[in-house]
Parts: sequence; C-alpha cells; structure tokens
Amino acid sequence: MALLEMRGIRKRFGGVEALKGVDFAVEAGEIHALVGENGAGKSTLMKILSGALAPDGGEVWLSGRRLRLGSVQEARRQGIVMVYQELNLAPNLSVAENLSLGRLPLFVDRKRLYTRARILLEELDLGFTPEVPVGVLEVGQQTLVAVAQALSQEARILVFDEATAALSAREAERLFQLVKELRNRGLGIVWISHRLEEVFHLADRVTVLRDGQRVATLPLSGLKPEALVELMVGKREAGRLDLPSPKAHPPLHLEVRGGGLEPLAFDLRPGEILGLAGVVGSGRSAVVEILFGLEGEGRVNGEPLRSPLEAIRRGVFLVPADRKAQGLILGLSARANISLPVLRELSFGGVVSASREAALARQWFQALGIRPQDPERPAGTFSGGNQQKLVLAKALATRPRLLLLAEPTRGVDVAARQEIYALLATWAREGVAQIVSSGDTEELLLLCHRIFVFRKGRVVAEFHPPYCSEEVVAHVVGTAQA
Amino acid sequence: MLWARLRPEFLARYGLVWALGILVLVLSLLSPYFLTPSNLLNILRQVSINAILALGMTVVILKGGIDLSVGSLLALAGAMAAGLAIAGLSPVLAMGLGIGVAIALGVLQGLLVAYAGLPPFIVTLAGLTAFRGLTLVYTDGRPITGLPEPFLFLGNGTVLGMPVPVMAMLLFLLLTHFLLRYTAWGRYLYAIGGNEEAARLSGVPVAPIKVFAYAYSGLAAGLAALVLTGRLNSAQPTAGTGFELDAIAAAVVGGTSLAGGRGTAWGTFLGALIIGVLNNGMNLLNVSAFYQLIAKGVVIVLALLVDRLVRRR
Ligand SMILES: Nc1ncnc2c1ncn2[C@@H]1O[C@H](COP(=O)(O)OP(=O)(O)O)[C@@H](O)[C@H]1O
Repeated sequence: MALLEMRGIRKRFGGVEALKGVDFAVEAGEIHALVGENGAGKSTLMKILSGALAPDGGEVWLSGRRLRLGSVQEARRQGIVMVYQELNLAPNLSVAENLSLGRLPLFVDRKRLYTRARILLEELDLGFTPEVPVGVLEVGQQTLVAVAQALSQEARILVFDEATAALSAREAERLFQLVKELRNRGLGIVWISHRLEEVFHLADRVTVLRDGQRVATLPLSGLKPEALVELMVGKREAGRLDLPSPKAHPPLHLEVRGGGLEPLAFDLRPGEILGLAGVVGSGRSAVVEILFGLEGEGRVNGEPLRSPLEAIRRGVFLVPADRKAQGLILGLSARANISLPVLRELSFGGVVSASREAALARQWFQALGIRPQDPERPAGTFSGGNQQKLVLAKALATRPRLLLLAEPTRGVDVAARQEIYALLATWAREGVAQIVSSGDTEELLLLCHRIFVFRKGRVVAEFHPPYCSEEVVAHVVGTAQA
Repeated sequence: MLWARLRPEFLARYGLVWALGILVLVLSLLSPYFLTPSNLLNILRQVSINAILALGMTVVILKGGIDLSVGSLLALAGAMAAGLAIAGLSPVLAMGLGIGVAIALGVLQGLLVAYAGLPPFIVTLAGLTAFRGLTLVYTDGRPITGLPEPFLFLGNGTVLGMPVPVMAMLLFLLLTHFLLRYTAWGRYLYAIGGNEEAARLSGVPVAPIKVFAYAYSGLAAGLAALVLTGRLNSAQPTAGTGFELDAIAAAVVGGTSLAGGRGTAWGTFLGALIIGVLNNGMNLLNVSAFYQLIAKGVVIVLALLVDRLVRRR
C-alpha cells in the first residue's frame, strides 16, 4: 500500500471545477513530481492535502489511516508538511529555535535544543551552526532550514511547490541533494515544478494533471521530455470511442494477490473500462485470471473468488484469450454454448427448459447480430468474429457486474473488431464494469477510461485517455521490458 | 432448417438405423429362423447386459473418460448380492447392497480421476484387476448357487410378456436418454468431454460431474450384475470377463466419440443391437466362433470409418 493515497478528490470554486475526482498516490521513499499547465489543479490538490482547503468529495489515507480533512493542524500532526516559496520561518530566531518552532515547550532546555539541532545539521551536512539567526542566512540556506525543520518535526510527506524558484543553481543543487537524502530515509516527497529538467533530474515518478483530471502517472526513467510535454498540453487523440462516464454508483472494490504479482487493490466503478497493458509476462494476464478464481487470491468487495464457479456467482465473468481452446465448446451448438454458464437458472429440478434456453440463444443472437442466425449450428462452424461474439453472448448472458476480457479482438477482422468495441461501450453504458487485458495499445486507448501499465508483476504507470497518444503509452509499455 | 437436419448426430443416428435395417434384411434372407418373434426377443435378451453396460460406458466416454472396470465390478456386485442373500439377508436388500457396492466403487474411481488427477485408463485398469481380486477373495473362487426366487425373476421372469432383462435394459435406456438429452448434468457431460477447459471457465462443476459419470457406470454394472446372476441362477467369480470391451465396442459402433463430447444413448443402444444381431445371425448361419471375432473387429473399424466420413463432410 502506498504511504499516501488521495482518492477521488473533487473541488469546485463557483462555476469552476478545479478537481474532478483526482486520485494521487505517493510511495514511501519516492520523489513524485506533480506537473501540469497553470490552472491544472496542482495547488488546489496540495492545499487539500495540507488541510488548508476542504474538498467537496474524496478521501485521503496516510499509512492506511483515513485523515480528517480541512484541518491544517491535523495534517501537520500526521506529518504532512509543505515547503512553500514563502517560508514558514522566524527570521529573528536562531536556526535551532526555528527547527523546533511551534513545538517549543514552556521551559526551554536550551542545551538539549542546541545539541539536537547540531546533530541534525551535521547529519544533513548543512554546514551552518544552530546559533545563527535565520534572518542572516541566504534564501537557499533558509530553504534548507525549512526542510530540516520539517524533518525534526517528524514529517512523513513533504511537499515542495516551486521550491527552486528563488534559488541560485548552486543552492538548488544543494537542495536536490538534501531531498534525495530524505527520500532515502523513506519519506514521501511531492515535487511541484514547471522546470521539466528539474523533474527529470530529481523525480522517480510523475503525475500529470490537466483540467482538474489526472492524465497519467508514470515512471520517468527512459521517458522523453517531449512525451511528458505532450501529456501536459498535447491534443486530444482522435478516433476514440464515445464512452459514457462511469456511473456514480458505489464502486467495486477489487483485490488481487498471488500469481507472482505485487498485491494490488483498486476500485472500479460500474460502467468503467480499465485497460491492462504490458509486455508478455508483465503480469497483466495474471490479474484477470486471479479475478476469475483461476489462481492466486482475488476478491470483489471483500468476497473471495476461489473458482470460476464462485466468480460467476459473484457476478464476474471472463472472456478468455484463446477462443477455441478456452472460450467455446466447438462441437456443441451455439445455443448450448451460450446457455452453459446459466444452465442452472434455466432448469427446473435439474431439467433444462428447452424453450427458455432457445429464447435465451435467440435473444443474444439478435442483440449481438451473430451470423448466420442459426443457434443450432455447432459453434465451430461460425467465423472467427462471430465465434468471439458467441463468447461475448455467453459472458453477457450471465449478467455480470464485472466483465474480464483477455485479448478481446485477437484474430478478429477489422469490421467485427469495431462491432465488438461498440458492444463493449454499450455494455459500459448499461453499467457493466470491464477490465480489458490486451497487447494492443491502440485498442486500449480507444476503449478504456483508465490504463494500468504492468512491469514485472507491478503497476508502474497509469494513464487516463484521451489525452495520451499511443506513442507515449507504447513507449512506457516498451521500456517496461528494460 | 436444412442445416439442423444434416447435423452429424442426426446422420450418425439414422445411419445406424439404416445399417441395422440392412443387416436384418440380409440375415432374414439368409436364415428362415432369423425373423421369428422368438428369435428377435432372444436377441434383445442376449443384448440386454451388454447394452446396459454400454449405456453406463457411454456416460463415462462422453465426459472424456473410459471405464475398464465394469466387467470386474459386475462380478463383484453379483457375488455380493448373491452372497448376502444366501447368508439370509432379504433378497431385495441384498440386491440393493450389490448395486450400492458397484456405485460406491465407481465413486471411488471417479474421485481418483477427478480430484487426484489420475488418468481414467489407469485408474479403471487398476479397478479391473482389483475388483476381480476382491470377487475371488469374497467367493473363494467358487460360484455361489442356490439363489432365492427374486434373482430368478430378474433373470428369467416376464412382465406383460416382456422378459425382465429386456425391460431393465429399456428402462435404463430411457433413464440414460433422459439424463443426456434433458438434464443440466447431461449437458455438463458433453461440455466437459467437448472441451474441459472451456467447461470449467463456464462454471461447470467439472470434478463432481466426473465422479457422477463413474458412479453411473457403477450403477450400470450393478444392474447388469443382477440380470446376469439371475440368468445364470448363480454368481460366477469369473463373470463379466472382457465385458468392458464389448461395452466400448457398442458405444463406438453407436457413434460415441472416444475423444469425448459426442454420442447418444440411442446410438449406443443401436450399436449394441447391431453387434447382437450380428452375433445372432452368425450363430444361426453356423459361422465358427473364430470368424465371428474377426467379423466383430471389422464392424467396429467400419463404424469408425463411416463416422469419420460423416463428420468430415
Ligand atoms: N480560491 C480560488 N477561487 C476560485 N478559483 C480558484 C481558486 N483557486 C484555484 N482556482 C481555480 O481552480 C483551478 C485550478 O487552479 P490551481 O490549483 O491553482 O492550478 P495550478 O496550481 O495547477 O496552476 C484554476 O482554474 C483556478 O482558476
């Protein structure tokens, strides 16, 4: 679990929706850059984190504990500290006194105060003594004092907002060193800056905000600066499916463990389509298998998914990657294939109702436009695209809450592919949450509200189309190999 | 819809009817005794045991397995029923226990296949040996004779003019047909035999259905055991030797695919009839037993060839 998790943060100023449900997470021991054009919502998000602003919606969790929002004191107590351009220092007090500012006891044991300050300053190798009044230090040094202050006050999350704006190059370099040192101590660091060189130089991951929404979270290593700029200001990608926004209904809470993956938990709203990208062996296929009870330990809303049977009972269904080997029983009629998962519901005392079964098959043949329109034909005699529609019909006949799709258009011709995309969009509109695992990045960008990129069993990046181009996503998926 | 008419099962089923018809025609031309009511009834009676075993076998083969143990299981169930009845147990209860033992051992083999993941061929081959051994131990290698009346009725009695073995066969045919054609479990058998992985991903309870298939074959063995014990008026420790192969032959001739997923109760019944008619005809024509074996082999291969042609079309 991440050290800091902000979930679904919303904030409106009069007519302006400054934040439209933003998720943001920072790991312990990482420098996480937050970038975006002016007005994207960065400061608003951080003000909510620091308690200076109360959000209209959303939650903030720190080390698995939910924070009370809208209180600066509470945020401070929990170890969330902001380092702004205007520093929170008292110029006429000494460095040592500033280090414990706000926490000075009634009777100050000056000796202890100065000893502790000296130890800290030496540890951080800051090169000035605790006795100096802060007012005589240069701006860069004052910034370092502000950081040391945060540290002495047991900060766990440190937010820097344009911290280098007033610093010389040398001072900035000194600050970078200190920030890296803090990262190595396990703090979570948020770094807001307009200077992209700085971001690339310093940060491990970056989150891009745009128009009050998160566009992407991704690792910086191997990323080209132009790609980051494109995420911030690039044009909306054309050719995207007209997807409905996910419903506001309570989300499905999904947990994924085992299968060689780092444990993963996330929420999926009804009608939301989540894409899983990654090279073969990255772990993305394991996710759908675990959620269908085939391996590992999956849960939906806390309920276990230990077998396909159990998964189906809980409203989860998998459209497997290999149609012929896993999806269909080719020798049985199309009708028998469609009805197989719901045979129990079509039966009375173990006897299948032939009329209800035939009606079900007809209904889905019509709904999905399956050709030729003869449900009695063996499934193996249909064309590839129509076979894939048969698998979809079978899946949808179970009325799933969550549809898992592995490579949904592999080996399907272009026309049938478009039809399948349109069908998935329709089912999203009906409130079916979907997880699509695909090796085809273009497909994911077309189809998904959100994309997780997997590397070595871990989610390393997250994208929110439509503002990400295929090149950028494919690049991140590709560097996942390295 | 033309297509529906041309489905492979349809062709296979009616192909069998044609084959049987031609066989009957030829034999009735060759032998004046063949087409007499008493001979036809005789054929049905002779066929009944193999047909019952073959129907049980069909259920196992459909789900993609095989049951080699039915011959030994038949001997054991017959010996148990006879032995218990002789020992003074109520005959009906003894018969019930005989069938119960056969079902229980079927379940045991099913558990080994479905949950331990052992190959059906090996598990039931072991069953074939072990159950024969159990029978020999139980009977001390000697026939059990002097059975009470109800046994004789099962083997030789009639109901409404119909021999009880034939009645038992027809009832078991209807039961199996109903199971395969109309119930969810029957559909699951086809699904598992057709593509086990796809069946599992469709939420089919694969393992329990597999166990059920072997239990059903056990039931068939138990039922056949009672009919045979009654017919012979004794339980023979070596009864049923080689019956598993005849049962498999009937199923295959009847269009059941050994790969699983394809076959019907009626097909298997017709398969058993064809083999029975052939045997009967060759007896009437005084064909030597050696040549009869060759003929049987040829028919099995022919059936497979025709089936392949029908499916390739
Ligand atoms: N106090 C406020 N009153 C009204 N609108 C505000 C206020 N603060 C921020 N906004 C608006 O919210 C949006 C996000 O702003 P902000 O969080 O400052 O973006 P950033 O820090 O990324 O430049 C902008 O459209 C801005 O005009």
